[in-house]
Amino acid sequence: MAKLNLRDKFGDWWDGASPFSRTVFRILAVLAAYAIPFLKNPIIDTPETSFNSVLFYPLVMFSLMAVGLNVVVGKSGILDLGYVAFFAIGAYTHAILSAHTGLNFWEIIPFAMGFAMFAGVILGLPALRLRGDYLAIITLGFGEIVRIIAVNTEAIGGAAGLTDIPGPSSVFGIEFTVMDPRPYYWLTLTAMLFVIWGVLRLSHRKPGRAWEAIREDEDVAEFMGVSTLKYKLWAFIIGGAVGGLAGAIFASNIRSIQPELFTLNLSIMILACVVLGGMGNIWGVILGAVLLGYIPEKLRFLSDYRIIFFGLLMVVMMNIRPNGLLPRKKREVVGDKS
Amino acid sequence: MDFSILVSDFWALTIDGLVVGAIIALVSLGYTLVYGVLRLINFAHSEIFMIGTMTCYWVVQRFGFTGYEDPLPLWKFAGLFLLFGFAAAVVSGVAAVILEIVAYRRLRVLGASRLSSLISAIGASFFLVEVFQKISGAKNLDFPRLISKDTLFEFQNAYITQDKLLVIVGAAVIFYILNRVIHHTKLGLGIRAVSQDERASILMGVNVNRIISYTFLLGGVLAGFGSAFYMVFYETTKANVGFLIGISAFTAAVLGGIGNVKGALYGSFALGLFQQYTSAVLGYNWKDVVTFVILVFVLLVKPTGLFGEALQKARV
Amino acid sequence: MSTKLLEVKNLVVKFGGVTALDNVNLHVNQGEIAALIGPNGAGKTTVFNIVTGYYTPAEGEILVDGKSMLGLRPYKIARAGLARTFQNIRLFGDMTAVENVATAADALNKSGLVGSLFGVPRSRRDEKASMEKAHELLKFIGLDHRALQMAKNLPYGDQRRLEIARALALNPKVLLLDEPAAGFNPQEKVELGELIRKIRDRGFAVLLIEHDMSLVMDISDRVSVLDFGQKIAEGTPVEIQNNQRVIDAYLGVAEDAS
Repeated sequence: MAKLNLRDKFGDWWDGASPFSRTVFRILAVLAAYAIPFLKNPIIDTPETSFNSVLFYPLVMFSLMAVGLNVVVGKSGILDLGYVAFFAIGAYTHAILSAHTGLNFWEIIPFAMGFAMFAGVILGLPALRLRGDYLAIITLGFGEIVRIIAVNTEAIGGAAGLTDIPGPSSVFGIEFTVMDPRPYYWLTLTAMLFVIWGVLRLSHRKPGRAWEAIREDEDVAEFMGVSTLKYKLWAFIIGGAVGGLAGAIFASNIRSIQPELFTLNLSIMILACVVLGGMGNIWGVILGAVLLGYIPEKLRFLSDYRIIFFGLLMVVMMNIRPNGLLPRKKREVVGDKS
Repeated sequence: MDFSILVSDFWALTIDGLVVGAIIALVSLGYTLVYGVLRLINFAHSEIFMIGTMTCYWVVQRFGFTGYEDPLPLWKFAGLFLLFGFAAAVVSGVAAVILEIVAYRRLRVLGASRLSSLISAIGASFFLVEVFQKISGAKNLDFPRLISKDTLFEFQNAYITQDKLLVIVGAAVIFYILNRVIHHTKLGLGIRAVSQDERASILMGVNVNRIISYTFLLGGVLAGFGSAFYMVFYETTKANVGFLIGISAFTAAVLGGIGNVKGALYGSFALGLFQQYTSAVLGYNWKDVVTFVILVFVLLVKPTGLFGEALQKARV
Repeated sequence: MSTKLLEVKNLVVKFGGVTALDNVNLHVNQGEIAALIGPNGAGKTTVFNIVTGYYTPAEGEILVDGKSMLGLRPYKIARAGLARTFQNIRLFGDMTAVENVATAADALNKSGLVGSLFGVPRSRRDEKASMEKAHELLKFIGLDHRALQMAKNLPYGDQRRLEIARALALNPKVLLLDEPAAGFNPQEKVELGELIRKIRDRGFAVLLIEHDMSLVMDISDRVSVLDFGQKIAEGTPVEIQNNQRVIDAYLGVAEDAS
């Protein structure tokens, strides 16, 4: 597999590296991620929309959502087609609470995540008892129902949505203004780093093994003492929390939301990111989100056709490379001594 | 909420429910037939229906009917209806066969996971919707009034019109033919054999790939006829028309027990009637929410449907 | 008398209108290797699917160490002491060998997801215990050198043994083996027999479904015979070999032909 050479070389280096060099590498990588908005490079710049605003939406926003959805789809093998519902719940939570309570953005975040998690439980408890393809349709319906309810409920703005949503108050001297997308990028990036940290920790421990076992063979996982319902529910809750967080940040940035922002298309786009990058591998998923977010912005003539492209991509990927560009855990240690 | 409407307009709602149920049934059969042979929900089936409606629209356009004429004389309508009905059936049928080859076959041969097949199907579905979105300019495509919708006769407050009669009678003829096909032809025998046990069918010399192709073809043809009735009754289509009718048809298939042909028929009529009654009471906006709630309810309470087999635990 | 670790009483199972198991009684004593044999379709695997909670019986009682398992979800039954392997190997293919075993070992601790996330001391301890147990079991079945290989890439025989290790990680009271020798050559069958004895000597009772009669007769302490969903005989290997009903059941096909 010549294509995997770079990845394997990096993997070999990583396995052989001392904890110190690993830490240095991690710090450098994180700093580089924070410094991206200062890049002035005509090659990566995007026409029509400033690169920095593309960097916030869709790049890092897609990445955050894809990392969240990956816990559900990639890790546990549960096909969730209604992920946008959690994003919408987060966005509406911020819009409504900021208008009706004195809470600021930072205080609302736990509520946005909490409500989305609660929605995950409400949807998951009944739905997760069902088999995969039924579950996919239930989640699909859930995503649409949340939108239809938003359209038909005048108390939360109906089809016109909500406006005058405040942005986050300033922290560490960083002001969140309408003009400058960079603080939102840093905010989302920070949120994503926390999520990655959490997901990686879980992946290498008992919950990660339980999720993978469920993905591989749910019946057998149950026979081996894994409480499949509990871990599927946790996957839903974690995915929901990340979606809610992303939604609240999104609402605080665009300042007005309408139900039409939260269509099935968005669920499918995030799913495409996960599928392209490599289901179950967090780095692959981010790569997928960056590619699928960036390419249509860079090549504007493509952007009108992006859903066509995403749909086609899902079919093609499943047929020729079902594990994505960066498949999960390709590396294994082959020892044949005995 | 006004329940008296259920009494005063009972027959009107019932007739409409049967009409809607007949259209849902033609789509629902595609889900159920494919599920029977593949144990897989064909997510893109709703787009096969959409392609049918588009075909009807273009055929009628092509013959110069753009929407402002008076209804046609009956014989002329009959000719035109047969023309676009069969065109839709052929196009939808072929589209379904191509869909199977492109989105499913390779995955099936490789023995890929269920998740892969589902994602592939969803990708295909989105691809088709967006392609037609571009072709149609994301507009509603209005179908001309080809058949008079004046009341033929009145029955207990229900106005019986030609188009409603056409749908009910036409669908009944198709169901009769389908029943003959399934129970009295070699193809029907093959489909039933593969539904029962794919491995045994291979051993018995059934060409499973061919049976699967024919099953998709049959499902597509039925959806194509369904789309022709849909166009006569609703007189409009758009690229994402398939989504909601797909949810309804799928719900109907589950209600009747997915994989079960008779069940899909009964489920469709039950759902059509229920949709009409509840929308009369709750308002039309909530129709799709109601459908979805039924789906969730059936899946949770009796996932085998009213006539189905135990599919939740097919085998260990 | 030795204690009965698994006891199945008056089990009746119906699929649709067909009776798959008809009033079956079985038990497994502490420290013994019991075998369940019978012609194809006699209902042997159904017994496993019932006692592990995958299907619900129409009638009957299932006791593990005296406690009723009826109505419990499979994962609870697994934790209560019944672990199984599968006729057609069902490993977690995309996980490494050691992860396969550790997943089952995890079931024995109560560490939760939040604890794992924040790395509380108990979770660290449990994590270490699971991994150590997994490595120890791999060593026991002789697979420790392949611990980090994907289960799906292991040779056939190793996959069969890995399934056994995974089941043992649950510390079962009774280990249920579903045709563990399928596809093995004579040499491998002998080794398997030794492994099963070693498992018994470690203190696990074993219930074995197997078609290979020489293996069954060689290692079993007690044999039960199922035919058409009914238990037609039970006894020591020698008794079974000389039981006329058993011989008839196995030769049934030939009888029809004559």
